[in-house]
Amino acid sequence: MNKLFLSVLCLLAVFAAVAPCLADTVNGVLAEERIVNLPQDQGKWYVSVVGNATDPRYNEIVGWFDINASLKKLKNQVHFCLVTSDTAIYQARYAGNVKGLPTVRMQKADGTVVYEAAGKNLPMTAAGLNGALAGAVSTAQGIRPILPWRRDMERRCPGPCPNPQPNPLPQPDPEPQPIDDNGPPNVDPEPQADLPPWGVALICLAGVLVGVSSGYGRKLYAKLNSPVK
Amino acid sequence: MKRILFALVLLASVAGCEVNENLGASAPKKERPTVNVPAALRQSNWRGPQGQGSCVHASMISLFRWQYRLKTADHWQRTYGDGEYPEDLAAKFNQEGIRYAYVTNGDVRFLEWACRTRRGCGITVMGGAHMVALVHLDDKWAAILDNNNVEKFIWVPRETLIAEWKASYGWAVTPIYAPAAPLPQ
Repeated sequence: MNKLFLSVLCLLAVFAAVAPCLADTVNGVLAEERIVNLPQDQGKWYVSVVGNATDPRYNEIVGWFDINASLKKLKNQVHFCLVTSDTAIYQARYAGNVKGLPTVRMQKADGTVVYEAAGKNLPMTAAGLNGALAGAVSTAQGIRPILPWRRDMERRCPGPCPNPQPNPLPQPDPEPQPIDDNGPPNVDPEPQADLPPWGVALICLAGVLVGVSSGYGRKLYAKLNSPVK
Repeated sequence: MKRILFALVLLASVAGCEVNENLGASAPKKERPTVNVPAALRQSNWRGPQGQGSCVHASMISLFRWQYRLKTADHWQRTYGDGEYPEDLAAKFNQEGIRYAYVTNGDVRFLEWACRTRRGCGITVMGGAHMVALVHLDDKWAAILDNNNVEKFIWVPRETLIAEWKASYGWAVTPIYAPAAPLPQ
């Protein structure tokens, strides 16, 4: 009985040793277990912010991507490339094809430029840049912009929302974007201020008043200054 | 006779015509190699403090630069050198807080992933005695950037490169950051 028990134990031990080897074998070679979640991000778009590191305007635009919530969200959905004009990568890959500095360029994964603005053509505010990028993404994807009356409805939809937290550790290079399998970005459309009904009435009233007063003024002017004959 | 001659001339002229596939005006031209590391970013091999070649570090520095980790690349060059083993390099990456991935099992899917995502990777060659950067891999061709001669990319048939890599311990490693943006189309 003991011998039988011992042999069963031996058999179990042999199976226990062989089973994991079989499980880990892929195409005849022992698989590494470290590499489990490689980011399949070949479809990610690129946003390059190119400029002179000492230019306040460049630094302001770079800062928008940390301050403005929509741009910050976009930054984490794309390959975000900060390129300064004193680097070799600028000389090799940007100097010959940018129209001025600073430049903001958005590209599809295949390099197709969907948005590019440089120098004075850049939007003046973070919200303006976000709106321009959102418009470019919609145009590139053939998507109509969300109509104002639908915007709140879209926002009310529940869904997982990435909320990356800033890492307080000092880093010599800029903080890398999160690793994920994202494809094209989803840029928040910039909300446009909708005029309330009383505002419309106020504008109409102002228009009537201006019209009446200008008509009366013209009559008064004609009365006081008789034409030279 | 004249008719035959005319027909022959016509045939000869038609045979020389190259038919270009019309891809449409918007079809982007693919950059080759995929990881088109500019000359100024390529790191040459150097002798470390122990007199050994630093091919692994040189390959990593070229890839760091391609992935916009310029200060990391400078730091790496100042700090590390000489020959390297997979586990030791992994320990250094962990210590420095570098995002990376590697295999030592010759899994070709890793090379395909590295080139598909435009990051590239270091791969062992010459029986494991040397590391170069893999900068392109498609269904026919592969391109490498050899840190012993960074002047040009070396193109080899895909299967030749894979066989060489597998016969060299199949070690491949890469940092994982945002690759340089493609050239505008």
